[in-house]
Amino acid sequence: MDHEPSRRSFLKLVPLGILAGVFASIGGAAFRFLRPRLSAATDSWLDVAPVAELTGPQPLSRKIAAEQIAGWAINIEEHNVFVLPAKDHQVLSPVCPHEGCEVAWDQNTNRFACPCHESYFAADGARISGPAPRGLDRLPMRVQNGKLQVQYVTKEQATQA
Amino acid sequence: MTRPSENIRDWLEATSGIVGVLLLVQVATGVLLAFYYVPSVDHAHTTVSYIEKVVSSGAWLRSLHHYGSQWLSLFVFLHVIRLFLTRAYASNRVQWIVGILLLGLVMAAGGTGYSLPWDARAFFSTRIAEGLMAGLPFVGPMARLWLLGGSDISTITLSRLFALHVLVIPACVGAVVVLRLFRANVAEIFGPRHAIAGGVVFLLLALWCLKYRAPLGPSVAAMPIDYVPRPGAQFLWLYQSLKFLPGGLGSLAGVVLPGIVLTILVLLPWLKRQRLIAGTILGVMGVLVVAMTTASYLSDRNDPQTARQLAIQAAHEDAWRRESFTPAPITLATAMAMSVETGSAPGGQPNMYIKFCAECHGLNGEGGQLGRLRFPPLIDVSTKPRRTSDDIVGLLKDPAAYGLQPPMRSFSNRLTEEQMKEIGEWIVTLKK
Repeated sequence: MDHEPSRRSFLKLVPLGILAGVFASIGGAAFRFLRPRLSAATDSWLDVAPVAELTGPQPLSRKIAAEQIAGWAINIEEHNVFVLPAKDHQVLSPVCPHEGCEVAWDQNTNRFACPCHESYFAADGARISGPAPRGLDRLPMRVQNGKLQVQYVTKEQATQA
Repeated sequence: MTRPSENIRDWLEATSGIVGVLLLVQVATGVLLAFYYVPSVDHAHTTVSYIEKVVSSGAWLRSLHHYGSQWLSLFVFLHVIRLFLTRAYASNRVQWIVGILLLGLVMAAGGTGYSLPWDARAFFSTRIAEGLMAGLPFVGPMARLWLLGGSDISTITLSRLFALHVLVIPACVGAVVVLRLFRANVAEIFGPRHAIAGGVVFLLLALWCLKYRAPLGPSVAAMPIDYVPRPGAQFLWLYQSLKFLPGGLGSLAGVVLPGIVLTILVLLPWLKRQRLIAGTILGVMGVLVVAMTTASYLSDRNDPQTARQLAIQAAHEDAWRRESFTPAPITLATAMAMSVETGSAPGGQPNMYIKFCAECHGLNGEGGQLGRLRFPPLIDVSTKPRRTSDDIVGLLKDPAAYGLQPPMRSFSNRLTEEQMKEIGEWIVTLKK
């Protein structure tokens, strides 16, 4: 009768052990199942507009269409960019480097204003004031057959670079 | 030492452990599938394909959910029989009622779940659910509209079945389980025997699912006209019975009768002649289910035409599994931008030929073989009668009109006129 208590407590562990085994096998599969898939960084060049159409002293807002594959879905995402015709057609990302809101060009004050936390940027994208840690990010650009093309870079990619 | 008969009795009680473990597996795998699944008619099949083909462990987890539901139906039924044998309806009313309610809920979960992948099987199962509702006495037309959420099967129907399957029914199962565990000694309900039995059944299920994939038929949009659907194992009895029952009688057998039977069984603790009533009901149910299920297997095996068609469908599914997954457009603008897919590969084959035809007819039209199916070569096909490039366009739209048989199917909802013309003009250039 001496071994009776230990046998009993062992028997109590059996259900727990078996349940743990069931959950461990599903849990291991669940980890692999839920693991996020990183989409391969695309370095494709996206058309903005013919260079001849991009003129004037002001930054110009243009849309680019980037193909995005997320798991089972494929989508064409539109992004805004700002072209600076006065600065050799440099292209700025409109994404504020602070928290990622999209800045707007304010013609009256001649600066970019972030609608979220009052960061301000000059016409060339340089930071003027506010919580933004740096100026607006420049996107890689080139001119091919008279067309301005850019590569889209997210705020996170620009921060890491 | 316990006497052997007591020992067997103890082990019989372990059916509740098996049901408990299988229920947990259904919840866990169901929650995981919901991380990718989208309940809409244009994405359900795509997301299930994605789970099957791309996501790590996806095919295994979906298999666990699919076959787990069939095993659960079986073990809940065996559990009810065990409760009957131990006279639980008299000694432990809650346990008896919980067992009966679980049987109904597990069958309801299986029925609603069948529609969710929105493949050909799902489509037919939804049609049958519609028919069963419509045939109900008095409330039929109304019940049908409420199930469909409109005058026809649509994406709203799929949303309804999804909400029932993942929210309403699991909530009811949860409530029933809480009812069982309330004020009960969990260590007694789930002791070592329950755990061992549950663990062994889970191990067998896990191995079964490593070997067998949950079926997925063609999407409803690409469904061949001669598709022969077969329900899951737990519904074969109903499927076979419906062969013998005209119209409204099917609703009686599939909905009203099971409803009355479950109600009587739930009320059994308050009835007289319990042993006779429950014994008769469970006995007749058991015999009917076994007989009808066996009959459906035999009739499929013994009818050569059905057997051939089922083999063709299995070969199609195998071929589909080997195809790599193609992401689907999620906005109309994306779909339009992607749909103008014309032009040719470096080898001269139109891109759409490579996408839809090369799998069976070979990259250069040399023909091919897949299991027992042979696909004719396309080289020199233009020397045959009725095989000009215009004929090939017509044939791609309606193969039967050109004397062709399945697995060749119509591509009129897959290819544009221009794409078909491109394929036809290329095929007639193929010479030895």
